[in-house]
Amino acid sequence: MNRLTSILLWVAIAIVGAASFAALALNRGESVNAAWLVTAALSVYLIAYRFYSKFIADRVLQLDDARVTPAVRHDDGMDYVPTNKWVLFGHHFAAIAGAGPLVGPVLAAQMGFLPGTLWILAGVVVAGAVQDFIVLFTSVRRDGKSLGEMIKMELGPIPGSLALVGVLAIMIIILAVLALIVVKALTASPWGLFTIAATIPIALLMGLYMRIIRPGRVGEASAIGVILLLGSIFLGRTVAADPTWAPLFTLTGTQLAWALIVYGAIAASLPVWLMLAPRDYLSTFLKIGTIAALALGIYFVAPVLMMPQTTRFIDGSGPVFSGALFPFLFITIACGAVSGFHALISSGTTPKMIQKESHMRFIGFGGMLAESFVAIMALTAACVLDPGIYFAMNAPTAVIGSTAAHAAQVISGWGFTITPDVINDTAARIGENSILSRAGGAPTLAVGMAQILGQAFGGRTMEAFWYHFAILFEALFILTAVDAGTRVGRFMIQDMLGHVYKPLGDTEFLPANVLSTVLCVALWGYFLYQGVVDPLGGINTLWQLFGVGNQMLAGIALLLCTSVLVKMKRERYVWVTLVPTAWLLVTTLTAGVQKIFSSDPAVGFVALARKFSAAAAQGTVLAPAKSIAEMQRVIFNNYLDAFVCGFFVLLVLAMCIFAAKICVEAWRQSRPTAHEIPPMMGRDEVMA
Amino acid sequence: MNAELHQGAQAPVAADDVTGPTRAWRDRLAGAARVGRQAWLQIFGIPDYERYLAHAAARHPGEPLLSRREFYLASIDRKYTGRGPRCC
Repeated sequence: MNRLTSILLWVAIAIVGAASFAALALNRGESVNAAWLVTAALSVYLIAYRFYSKFIADRVLQLDDARVTPAVRHDDGMDYVPTNKWVLFGHHFAAIAGAGPLVGPVLAAQMGFLPGTLWILAGVVVAGAVQDFIVLFTSVRRDGKSLGEMIKMELGPIPGSLALVGVLAIMIIILAVLALIVVKALTASPWGLFTIAATIPIALLMGLYMRIIRPGRVGEASAIGVILLLGSIFLGRTVAADPTWAPLFTLTGTQLAWALIVYGAIAASLPVWLMLAPRDYLSTFLKIGTIAALALGIYFVAPVLMMPQTTRFIDGSGPVFSGALFPFLFITIACGAVSGFHALISSGTTPKMIQKESHMRFIGFGGMLAESFVAIMALTAACVLDPGIYFAMNAPTAVIGSTAAHAAQVISGWGFTITPDVINDTAARIGENSILSRAGGAPTLAVGMAQILGQAFGGRTMEAFWYHFAILFEALFILTAVDAGTRVGRFMIQDMLGHVYKPLGDTEFLPANVLSTVLCVALWGYFLYQGVVDPLGGINTLWQLFGVGNQMLAGIALLLCTSVLVKMKRERYVWVTLVPTAWLLVTTLTAGVQKIFSSDPAVGFVALARKFSAAAAQGTVLAPAKSIAEMQRVIFNNYLDAFVCGFFVLLVLAMCIFAAKICVEAWRQSRPTAHEIPPMMGRDEVMA
Repeated sequence: MNAELHQGAQAPVAADDVTGPTRAWRDRLAGAARVGRQAWLQIFGIPDYERYLAHAAARHPGEPLLSRREFYLASIDRKYTGRGPRCC
């Protein structure tokens, strides 16, 4: 009887899911309600979790609750703490959810809602959740070791070092692209800039409160911080309307880029208690709160998707990013489908808190499904906008010009009818002067969220507030990431410099600290500045470079998982990791090679550099460059981007060869050769 | 054990005449509040001084304890130095 109920329940879920997909895919011409999208996604998650993750847990990994986990073995009351399954799910989700799942889907919306949805859902089930789950498992079976250490253990020292260099390169690119998103959102926006600037004194105040006034009382300080933050959003409206204050907070892109570079260098040099820790808490609270509010908003409003199912831009001619659906959709949406960065989290704090092996299914696989749902909501928020508004916000100035009239004309020419009045009215409703060319996801998402949340809570009068709240939430998160990321980057650079010249590796040696901080900031600052001044490049270039890097990291993590499965003599299940690995390698290598060698200057870095070189040799200035000097910069930057891309491609190919060699060796062995901790090893026996 | 004492010191002093079901309910509520508070701290990665005290009392009795401030500063220091990169 019970079994029958269960079968009926899962058949019902499958039918609901299939019906939702039918509503999304078979619809011709009329608008589709977002509720179908959300229902389709939830059905896929439920079925994947119930069946596929159970198969992986029981058959492939053979999770065993009799094995002692690192949290139980080392239980130190601080880092290693056996944690309740639900609590740890929350902790893990708060660590993996960031700006990534919010940005990629918004950019990919230029191809319509269907391609992005299908990739997010297929990607998460086949690749993303599998990666997070198996990396977590691998780390727990290796006493909570990090990804770099595990690659060293299982694949050898050279792949270990290569992976670390790759991680550093990807970090530099992501810091630049995140900072660029903030610049795009805050350029000439006094209201936005004021509220973001206000977070600095608020964080300092909280830091001092938690150190001096009431040591360690994070909850109290955060409550004060959130109230002050909300106050600053209201105050920002007054500041933006004030004739003396508004110009002070109206900065150009270049000014903002420099401000961020200086900010990054200073913030990363302050003690962590002063700004980083308090801001990180604020950002985490706001992040979880915003995601919850967005989910409630979509649930109650059930908005209609205005974006068509697919647009003509699947052919690669899109204004937001260039390149055809294959392979570029698959690197534009990384987080939400599969993200290499999660391999670092799943081998970071989470494995040190796992109480029982069986919990990993819910935390690793389930946590990633939750993140994927955030990506689906971001896609929804972008697709409920009028497509004309979407393209006005995301196409670069070089394409749509800098006036509402011109933009409306160009966008209407693409078949998305819009008038200048609608563009200006949207800007006015959210309290901004202009919404044109604010690429990067955050502002588009903020307008979409403002419309959804405005309908759910507070009506049209509250839209400007919700817009600035969404911008604040993303910028706060990004500034924290810039601060923390610069610190991690500095640490990694110092570690590498230490191999060249010993004293440079000493973290207590001030000149070495300053040198590596400056180096790290200069590296991401360079890419940021380049993105800001290059009207062709910007998000267009950097997000794809990041996508290639991030997916390559996922490929490396999955190569590790594959090698581990073979070494455990579970060859018959190796397809579980081999299929996503192969798919990631095919898409990222194709994308990487196209980015370098494509003869279309809109796609290939080298082709664009050559086109500009040829023109410069004849003394012709090509738009959007305004002088021969600017042309030279475009040429140099494109060669540099091609170099970075080539580096990622070679790195992943090298890792592939190392992993293949290890797999063949392990295959020939008759017994398992994985470096796992023996099952019964108890507390403190492995304190190496 | 120590954690119980510590909690007791902060809570208002219990009146002795409350016994039976009322007392059981109050204990249950206090227990739920403690679990809820711990869960909240763990989800957001906030240093949990009470758990540290309980752990120290159970595992390392008699050893010198960190003050609340020392524990907080040491915890966030470990959290942000030398840790791997975080997510996008």
